[in-house]
Amino acid sequence: MSDQSLLNRLFASLEGELTLVSAGSDQSQFPILDLLGNMRDEAREGDLAECARNAADRMVSIIESGKPFTADDVAWLQDVTAELRSILAPPASASKPAAAAPQAAAPAAPPEAAPAPAADMSVSLNLEGDGELLREFVTESREHLNNIEQGVLVLEERPDDADTLNSIFRAFHTFKGGAGFLNLIPINRLAHALESTLDLARQHKLRVDRPIVELILRGRDLLKLAVDEIEVRVSGSRPNEPFSLAFAALTAEALAVVEGGPAAVVIALPKAAPAPEAPASAPMPEKSAAQPTATVKVETSKLDSLVDLVGELVISQSLVAQDLTSLSRMDPQFARNVAQIGRVTRELQRVSMSLRMAPIRGAFQKMARVVRDVGAKQGKEVRLVTEGDDTELDRNMTEELTDPLMHMIRNAVDHGIEMPDARVAHGKPAVGCVHLRAHHQSGSIVVEIEDDGEGLSKERILAKAVEKGLAAPDAKLSEDEIFEFIFAAGFSTAQKVTDVSGRGVGMDVVRRNVERLRGQVAVSSTPGKGSLFKLIVPLTLAIIDGLIVKIGAERFIIPTLSVRESFRPQAGMVSTVQGRGEIVNVRGRLIPLMRLSQLFGVEGAATDPMAGVIVVVTTGTAVKCILVDSLINRQEVVIKNVGDLVRRANPAVAGAAILGDGRVGLIIDVHVLSSSSFAYADAA
Amino acid sequence: MNTLVSAPKAETAKPVPGKYLAFVLGGESYAIGVMHVREIIRPLDVTPVPRMPAYIQGVVNLRGKVVAIFDLRIKFGLPMPESLDRACVIVVQAHSSSGATTQIGLIVDTVEEVVALGAEQLDDTPSFGASLGTEYLTGMARIGSTVKMLLNIDRILEDESGPAAGSFGL
Repeated sequence: MSDQSLLNRLFASLEGELTLVSAGSDQSQFPILDLLGNMRDEAREGDLAECARNAADRMVSIIESGKPFTADDVAWLQDVTAELRSILAPPASASKPAAAAPQAAAPAAPPEAAPAPAADMSVSLNLEGDGELLREFVTESREHLNNIEQGVLVLEERPDDADTLNSIFRAFHTFKGGAGFLNLIPINRLAHALESTLDLARQHKLRVDRPIVELILRGRDLLKLAVDEIEVRVSGSRPNEPFSLAFAALTAEALAVVEGGPAAVVIALPKAAPAPEAPASAPMPEKSAAQPTATVKVETSKLDSLVDLVGELVISQSLVAQDLTSLSRMDPQFARNVAQIGRVTRELQRVSMSLRMAPIRGAFQKMARVVRDVGAKQGKEVRLVTEGDDTELDRNMTEELTDPLMHMIRNAVDHGIEMPDARVAHGKPAVGCVHLRAHHQSGSIVVEIEDDGEGLSKERILAKAVEKGLAAPDAKLSEDEIFEFIFAAGFSTAQKVTDVSGRGVGMDVVRRNVERLRGQVAVSSTPGKGSLFKLIVPLTLAIIDGLIVKIGAERFIIPTLSVRESFRPQAGMVSTVQGRGEIVNVRGRLIPLMRLSQLFGVEGAATDPMAGVIVVVTTGTAVKCILVDSLINRQEVVIKNVGDLVRRANPAVAGAAILGDGRVGLIIDVHVLSSSSFAYADAA
Repeated sequence: MNTLVSAPKAETAKPVPGKYLAFVLGGESYAIGVMHVREIIRPLDVTPVPRMPAYIQGVVNLRGKVVAIFDLRIKFGLPMPESLDRACVIVVQAHSSSGATTQIGLIVDTVEEVVALGAEQLDDTPSFGASLGTEYLTGMARIGSTVKMLLNIDRILEDESGPAAGSFGL
């Protein structure tokens, strides 16, 4: 007996190849021959084998002629496929092949698959046989589905962009092929239906308008769900049971669009899309067309040890260079060589650090979808304009930034941008605009989110702050101090709780996340004009800019980002408050003083503040003074993990770094130190 | 910490025949399975970490990795040797109970040799009563007339990652 499922799979692949066939091109000639041959061998006898054999023979002659497909060949291939289908699945498609034939004029239009099944077929995975393939499928599919999402969003603005259309089409096509090969039939069908829709658009037979974009996005989301389902099964975190999603309905919908034909769609849905007003300035182009550069996947642990070793190389090199300068009789040739090693080493260090860097584009692309969905849900027209997509930062950082960004973008669309009629009434364009920008600034990356909405209402924030007991009713607060309240826990001025925001878990979480990344959030706003949120985060989690300080014989590193200032105290600045330790009077502001030497039990440190230096550190709203002996210098250091052992025993140590002389310096966790709950159990 | 029951670890910490690295710690003979040993280095410049138990000397830079250095002589209450000239650091790979592996450095008086120990040379740790800290041993080995104590390195790490790490709370 021949294997029916294998035959089905072969046929699905054949259908896939067929979509690539067009008159005048020789694409897919060999794969088609191969598939036909396989079908012939698998079927062995009967109509199917017969049909496949004849088809394969003709394919051989086409290939042997060395010419591309002619229009006749294409039509013939459509017929053969229809015939094969009717043999493979007689009852369902028996009525169809004839209907498919007229479409043959459209060379790439795939003949319609069997009508969508009424019930959703479940998807079951063959983990033993296909485990590795499925894993690959999941990774690749994610990429394709992301590309599709991005592409569709571009299409929404520029429906006629042929490059984008083609790239989405190809992504669906590859995805479909993979699903077919792995016998994920409902997934394959849905992808196929969506691909067909896109194909019509590609041939200018279908206008890509809102409903089509919606359809494709919904399809893409469903396929993503399916991929998620496959992933949990492949990873073994859930038992491998067949699963079913609402594939059939969507597949039918897509097929209806395809069959309804171009005319019906265009008439039924006059261009409601904002295509005509799509601004020429929208800096979205070339996104999908961004040339993929060749990449290699590397384990992060390997990358880390490379960076470790390069760091050591830099230290060894500088030690050698130092020894060299102390040599009295120096051979100039030798000195030159050592200098050359130094240059190469520094270059190597730069390159090894840049290995982790990736453009922020990925995070920005996700935002386009957020803006779109939130805007659509609320009936607002919002446009996202991104700038600086190529700004590079640590890949981990991009991931960590996604959540805070998403939250702030949601806020901007939800709270910031007004309803279209309100905007028009205020003399603004009906379409709101959110700008998302990124650029480098002195070793950090700055991400700005600016909306042209109504801006923050000082009065409303203040009223809310008073209501929550965060501010006294008669307090005289500066604008910045008032805006600061939006970062307080459980604070939201949204008049009503909406689907997307206004539940009061908002900006405080954003601030906390950003500070965890050793970054800062700032806000400014002009009433009626909009608000600007500014995130400043380091480029990488692997390096910090540190202030190296000396306490006793030991050196510690304080992250520069949290250092506000440092100074040598004058007599009378430090005073003792009974029961509350020491405080420093910094220009009239009283700030608690921490003696790191006492806290850490470091011997030989200065006890008189006048002999030392005071470093003022801030984290969020907490400000503390730290007394150290002296400042050594400021430098960028690579953060090393000190292990649970140390962190558990001393939570105030955030990590360690190798200093210029090869010794380890400990990085102080300013957040832990300045949190009010922090104290060593036995601290005096 | 000696009140910890010893029943469960009797099963987990049986001495296994194989190759062991013999070393001297506070004048006493110890050995550790070679599978745990990553390398042996000369003592490096140690950066003390504030608020760590006294027997954790601090951290060193081992070719770009930060590794904690343990002085088990302090933990076990053993005397310091008169001369530190032959002192070495044995870098070992220890597994915590959670399954994570950590590299730590053990300062020893001197490293002796690698010995192959057969099953007939190995004994379980004799019970001296709770007061003698034998919980850090997997067993004893007889080599001729001498006896070596087999160190259970994972158990030492466990002490530190346990909930009551030293006397310091957060």
